[in-house]
Amino acid sequence: MKVTIFGATGVVGQALLPLLGEHEVTAVSRTKRDDDGARWLVADAASGDGVAEAIDGAEVVYYLVHSLGSRDFEQQDRAAADAVARAAARAGVKQIVYLGGLGADDPDASPHLRSRRETGERLGSAGVPVTTLRAAMIVGRGSAVFETILGLVRRLPIMLTPSWVSTPTQPIALDDVARYLAGVCGNEAALGRGYDLGGPEVMTYREMIERISRLLDKRPLIVEVPVLTPYLSSLWLNLVTPVNASVARPLVEGLRNPTIAREEAIHELLPFELTSFDEAARAALG
Amino acid sequence: MHSWETTERLLESGGFESRQRVLVEEPVVDVSDSGARVLGVTYWRAVGLFTRGAVRASWTGGGGKLRLLGGASLLTFGPPELSVHDGVVACRHGIRGGLLALRSGGSVTLAQRSAGEQHELTVTVEEYLPRLAARVGAPWWTGALYAKGQSPFHAAVSRRYFELLVRGHTG
Repeated sequence: MKVTIFGATGVVGQALLPLLGEHEVTAVSRTKRDDDGARWLVADAASGDGVAEAIDGAEVVYYLVHSLGSRDFEQQDRAAADAVARAAARAGVKQIVYLGGLGADDPDASPHLRSRRETGERLGSAGVPVTTLRAAMIVGRGSAVFETILGLVRRLPIMLTPSWVSTPTQPIALDDVARYLAGVCGNEAALGRGYDLGGPEVMTYREMIERISRLLDKRPLIVEVPVLTPYLSSLWLNLVTPVNASVARPLVEGLRNPTIAREEAIHELLPFELTSFDEAARAALG
Repeated sequence: MHSWETTERLLESGGFESRQRVLVEEPVVDVSDSGARVLGVTYWRAVGLFTRGAVRASWTGGGGKLRLLGGASLLTFGPPELSVHDGVVACRHGIRGGLLALRSGGSVTLAQRSAGEQHELTVTVEEYLPRLAARVGAPWWTGALYAKGQSPFHAAVSRRYFELLVRGHTG
């Protein structure tokens, strides 16, 4: 099967590529690359440059792109989704696989999560069946939220944290997300459907900080400060973690929304044993 | 969402039983453990939203606390007990103590069940011993604090919870 991956250089794209070995893969990035045994093409979904060429002949298109970090990320996400949806329809693509976010359907969702939902809707607007996988926080090296928490734990003996640390989430291992993504490739039962991807444990961000701290043999003091706004949080994170403020702010705003799976249909479609949080975190810590 | 009802009665054991319910046309959560978990998460979120963050739930693997302004523990709870049986999806938390509990005991259960062609959403508090309720020998105003304060507050939170569930389903 011919498969095109937008966002192939990202954290999830890199984990997915090795699992699609049986397919003829075209990996798309915004800059030229030559590796991983895939055919690499240069295209920019947001501007539309090279998108039609990248999709030409593909039966399945993976959409793993987001514009987080751009000032106008919502506008860019809309433009990129529209460009790929139109090109996929023209090329006769049978399936678009989209990785969205849990919590995006929440009526009080943050701009980032709202944008994730709108992207999914726009990808399906030209008539190609979309398979949407909605993931909670991804536990893996390079995942923005995971790296943010890691940065906090590594650098701060005392943490002043906003109220989002009490929000429940269902973190899922990067490898498990990649396995689900690969599993729905060309899967007739998954066409036009959405699935929630959650890990085996539900926990708050505070618990996650404590669990990662234990793995790193650290014992930070965590003090919840209700007045810490997303803006102040993002400036603080910019200062003490490797995550840029322009990425941190929309992420922090999204952390106030619970991100837990609402249904379990994916377990029937692709049954396998999920990786525990500690195991996934240990793997990410290397 | 319609057919809102709220009832409360004093049990022979001295504990209180309180129940709020609404009917909805379609189920708002999946009939699965995940659906049951959504009931619990949405309820605790409703508490925070209703009080504009003044009262919030914080959780660890061993249970949770309802804290006032991040400090005093108003109530403490056991971990969620999820159940799915005969189409009834439920999330139950045992009440372990806190400033508003006379002693450990009782529970709060959030459920969705079929009711003919509709579906019933409920919040049920059972065998709860509120510190504020009148007891033999206690001053009269302690009972009034419960009847005029905590009890209607709880009913209002339940209503907000039902609204959130329905909005989350349709939004």
